[in-house]
Amino acid sequence: MLAVTNIHKAFGTNEVLRGVDIMVEKGDVVVLLGASGSGKTTLLRCINFLELADQGHIRVGGIDIAFRDARKKDIHAIRRKISFVFQNYNLFNNKTALENVTEGLIIGRGMPKSQAVRIGKACLDKVGLANKFDSYPGQLSGGQQQRVGIARAVAVNPEVILFDEPTSALDPELIGEVLDVMKRLATEGTTMLIVTHEMSFARDVATKVVFMDEGNVVESGRPKEIFVKPKERRTRQFLQRFLGDSDYAI
Amino acid sequence: MNPRFIFETFLKLLPYLTVTLEYVSLSLLFGTLLGFLAAAAKLGRNRPLRWLANAYTTILRCTPSVVLLFLVFFILPAVMRNYLRINVDAWPALFFVVVTFTLFLGASQSEVMRGAYLAVDRGQFEAGVSVGMTEWQSFRRVVLPQAFFFALPNLTNTVIYLFKEGSLAFTIGVVDIMGKAYLVNATNFGLKALDVYLALALIYWPLSVFFEWLGRLLERRFGYTQVKPEAGKTAESVRGRGRSSIRGVRA
Ligand SMILES: Nc1ncnc2c1ncn2[C@@H]1O[C@H](COP(=O)(O)OP(=O)(O)O)[C@@H](O)[C@H]1O
Ligand SMILES: [Mg+2]
Repeated sequence: MLAVTNIHKAFGTNEVLRGVDIMVEKGDVVVLLGASGSGKTTLLRCINFLELADQGHIRVGGIDIAFRDARKKDIHAIRRKISFVFQNYNLFNNKTALENVTEGLIIGRGMPKSQAVRIGKACLDKVGLANKFDSYPGQLSGGQQQRVGIARAVAVNPEVILFDEPTSALDPELIGEVLDVMKRLATEGTTMLIVTHEMSFARDVATKVVFMDEGNVVESGRPKEIFVKPKERRTRQFLQRFLGDSDYAI
Repeated sequence: MNPRFIFETFLKLLPYLTVTLEYVSLSLLFGTLLGFLAAAAKLGRNRPLRWLANAYTTILRCTPSVVLLFLVFFILPAVMRNYLRINVDAWPALFFVVVTFTLFLGASQSEVMRGAYLAVDRGQFEAGVSVGMTEWQSFRRVVLPQAFFFALPNLTNTVIYLFKEGSLAFTIGVVDIMGKAYLVNATNFGLKALDVYLALALIYWPLSVFFEWLGRLLERRFGYTQVKPEAGKTAESVRGRGRSSIRGVRA
């Protein structure tokens, strides 16, 4: 479970997050929507302390702390409970697919190598890469790399996985394979907070949709509510831009 | 040209190779450490440290190596005597050579390392901490090996440069292969200069080639990092992608 309250973040004078609250219950698949520049990436990065929020509070897996009060030790503990899937995959280029997945287990958690390898292979198998254990990132397609990225995030058994536009860097024909993996995780009850522009995915898989604009949460609710009967004008405008028509129906 | 004399001289010079290799390896070791610290300072958030490291690099870059060697040789003893109360008069001249080249390498290596560090996408470091590694673990396991690969060609260059430039050591009385060659030449009244320095070259050439080969071997060993993953696309294509997915909704 993850609860973030009143999170503020500015870059210089640019106020990017203006008091955002996000709640992700166990087993939830929360999809975060919003126009480019609305602060979605910054929000995810703040949750994982890749950026330090100016204000706000985080509660995850028994840890309950204000962002500003978190020391190195707390940050490390929180990161162990949250994993991250990046838009550009960010695989370790000097490690094989399997090593990419086991690294966090062996080095980060001190797990015995044999056990880590067993888990790593199972996770790669789950994302359909059982035949790519020994490939380096440079030898994999974008879709395969992102699936390794997902396996790496799943392997450490986190409370919640954050996805930042996991399919945005992919060629169109490779998007499906990644979304399929994410759908499977959802049916298995993996807790996820996902930034994406894949509307059909949001509609079909999300348990909750959150719409952000200019650093604020404008509206949130079940996908049906948001897609069919958005209450806020800004949500409607955003959806119209993406869906492009008024006869859209679920 | 007298092949026999060349060979004899070659054998005479050979033992002094240990001196050469001594200051090369020691300077390389300490210079790399110093370079690492200076690079860390330049990349770090501490302003005075950053300024200091940059100033150090600039000053060292603008000083010819002979000049630095003399400065170190004549000024360092005075400084150490007056401020640290350490008498270095009896210390071997080799010490000053190592100090000089350590200072030099520290400056050039710090730039090499800074560049190599920046060449590794920060996202990989972030991915490392996101799977529960500490910052140090992520740096050591992910960034460092790749940065090392990016630094290798420069490192090889540095070793060869040091190996040859080290011949300056003789100017403060360190008898390395160059120094010995100078002495042998003098005992022959300079009459066999060509042969003597040819014998010297016969040591420099193969060893330089060996260092080059070693560098390339290491590059191959760490070469997998050369394979770069497909870079992330721009925001433009991201937005385009968003629209294309609507077709999926309608279908
Ligand atoms: N590291 C940074 N430094 C300065 N400004 C940033 C940084 N990261 C993001 N921003 C700014 O924050 C705003 C929101 O960016 P981002 O969180 O990436 O939005 P989104 O992911 O919703 O497209 C943008 O105006 C962007 O320019
Ligand atoms: Mg973004």
